Amino acid sequence: MGQAILYGIISLIICVAYFTLVDHYLMDMQGLDYWYLFRK
Amino acid sequence: MGPATRKKLFSIMALCAMVGLLLLPIIMSLPSPAAGEEAAADGAKKEGDKVEKGRDVYYKTEGIVVGAPAPKTTDGPKDYPRYNFESRVLLWFANQQHLYYGSFVLAVPIFCMIIEFMGVVTKDKALAKRYDQLAYDFIKISLTAYSLTAILGGILIFTFLTLYPAFFGYLSSIFRPVMHIYALMFVAESGTLYIYYYGWDKMKEGFLKWIHLSMSVVLNIIGTLLMFLANSWIGFMMSPAGVDEQGRFLGNIWHVIHTALWNPLNVHRILGNMAFGGGVVAAYAAYRFLAAKTDEDRAHYDWMGYIAMAIGVAFLIPLPFAGYWLMREVYAYRQQMGITLMGGLLAWLFIIQATMIGILFLSSNYYLWQALGRMRGAEKYQRYIKYLVFLLVCGFLVFITPHTMVMTPAELKAMGGQQHPVLGNYGVMSAKNGGINVIITTTVLSFVWYMRGNKVSTVSWSKFGNIFMGVFFACAYVNIIWLAIYGYYIPANVRVGLSVPQVATTLSCLFFMLALNSAMMKGAKQMGPIEWGKISARSQYALIMLATAFTWMMGLMGYIRSSVRLFWHVNEIMRDNSPWAYTHTVGFAANMISFNVLFFWISILFVFWLGSLGMKKVPVEAKAGVPGGAPQPAGSH
Repeated sequence: MGQAILYGIISLIICVAYFTLVDHYLMDMQGLDYWYLFRK
Repeated sequence: MGPATRKKLFSIMALCAMVGLLLLPIIMSLPSPAAGEEAAADGAKKEGDKVEKGRDVYYKTEGIVVGAPAPKTTDGPKDYPRYNFESRVLLWFANQQHLYYGSFVLAVPIFCMIIEFMGVVTKDKALAKRYDQLAYDFIKISLTAYSLTAILGGILIFTFLTLYPAFFGYLSSIFRPVMHIYALMFVAESGTLYIYYYGWDKMKEGFLKWIHLSMSVVLNIIGTLLMFLANSWIGFMMSPAGVDEQGRFLGNIWHVIHTALWNPLNVHRILGNMAFGGGVVAAYAAYRFLAAKTDEDRAHYDWMGYIAMAIGVAFLIPLPFAGYWLMREVYAYRQQMGITLMGGLLAWLFIIQATMIGILFLSSNYYLWQALGRMRGAEKYQRYIKYLVFLLVCGFLVFITPHTMVMTPAELKAMGGQQHPVLGNYGVMSAKNGGINVIITTTVLSFVWYMRGNKVSTVSWSKFGNIFMGVFFACAYVNIIWLAIYGYYIPANVRVGLSVPQVATTLSCLFFMLALNSAMMKGAKQMGPIEWGKISARSQYALIMLATAFTWMMGLMGYIRSSVRLFWHVNEIMRDNSPWAYTHTVGFAANMISFNVLFFWISILFVFWLGSLGMKKVPVEAKAGVPGGAPQPAGSH
């Protein structure tokens, strides 16, 4: 069970980082600001 | 020289002849536009006239005028001769039928190439034989349909010549060299197709089989080029280039072909044709499955339907992205055109389109869930299907939510404007993109489950792999939905970019998760064989639904693409002055599309019947060694 939780946490960190990078860079490539709402 | 060597030599010569046929029109055409341009320039210089120059409406380059201006037509028998019927409807019918058959005969040889290749590389001899037989059956159907395509092409040209002579005359004056290349390519396509078909039995083994497979590659290159050339005509009509503002040809044929929308149209049509072809073949297999009398036949047609559906869906998944690219280019070319399409006159047709896309994906998923039933060990996924249904339905409802309403002037007045007080807050593009991406991601998930239905991973890292896959899908859903909601809180010019990361999220699931699943399933333990033929009849109706939805949607999208020109034959260059230069009501268009769909399906059933008259039986040895009597192409997925 402990191992499954560890795997889950590792997977979550990788996936969240990956999708955040995808969102940020693909908006940036279009000259748009992904963080628009948070910077405002 | 022995007979085997002679056969090899002849096969290589035939292949070289095909490649030659492929290159011949291109080589022949190369000097002609250039020569035409120089000759025109020289002629003008010699006569001492001033060389008239024009400015390209799209490329903004200057060129020497070598063509006549676009004719200014008037409503009368000279420019618009007619029967006692709406000419546009007749042309619509002829065009649509030619397009349906054209798509089918371009898609099926690509299928054959893929299936023949699978047969060549597979190590299981019985399975290889079945793949080969399947590819042969496909090309046989395609051959009959090919003749019908040519006949319909002839009918289409005659319809143009008799009902729209001024417009067709102008178009053919611009595309003269392209039309000749098109005709030569058509000859090359026919020759290659016949050699490919009739050489099947003579080139069925060893080196000769590879030559035969190469022929299918050449055949498909020719077919694709043919389609590209035909696309250049519609691309020119929507977004003209290579002419000045009066419509005079400026001598650069490449500019006329390579218009703003040509490439997006090419990509969209290739994918669309493949998805459509897959749907038609799957429906054919479904019909044969339902009519089958023996378990053996049921197993064969179940397998055939699955293969066709898998190929069709493989091309259906990237289709919305290609469509998105096309729309983006339409907006980039003329913003007004984009608004007419998606926010104005034709917007409600996109709601119908969204409904059809939803039906396509729902049918595909339903088929895959039903197909899990023929695998031992796949029961473990059954209890989770309800969650997928929930996701699909939510995605579907968001996807079909409109942003505006069709209203009478009185209703508009009562509401105080175009914006609906409730609906106006919904149906924005990022939310709709969220809907369709949820649907596609769920389809990928269904496919992953299907792929591992009767298998248990034996790799040492399977626990981590399973958890990672689950978390990846969960995060992908969260990201897509988050971006869809986020779009409501940021301005439209920022929101428009959100669709790119949404698409990237879905594609990440598609590529990474299918790759991860394949790696996990390498050497996996099988819980039991796939029992081909042991699938519910409902699944086969889902395949028929899939094919009908494809056909209907193709008709709808063709109509939308064509009617966005509004009252122009060639956008902003040649005006349509016929009495039919108005946009039909949604109801009329829907009835017309349904009629076209019905006509196509009745005629294709006739083609299938013709094809079945001389169809070979499935090789009996294919079922050898399979428990339960049903042929089992294990690992075919």
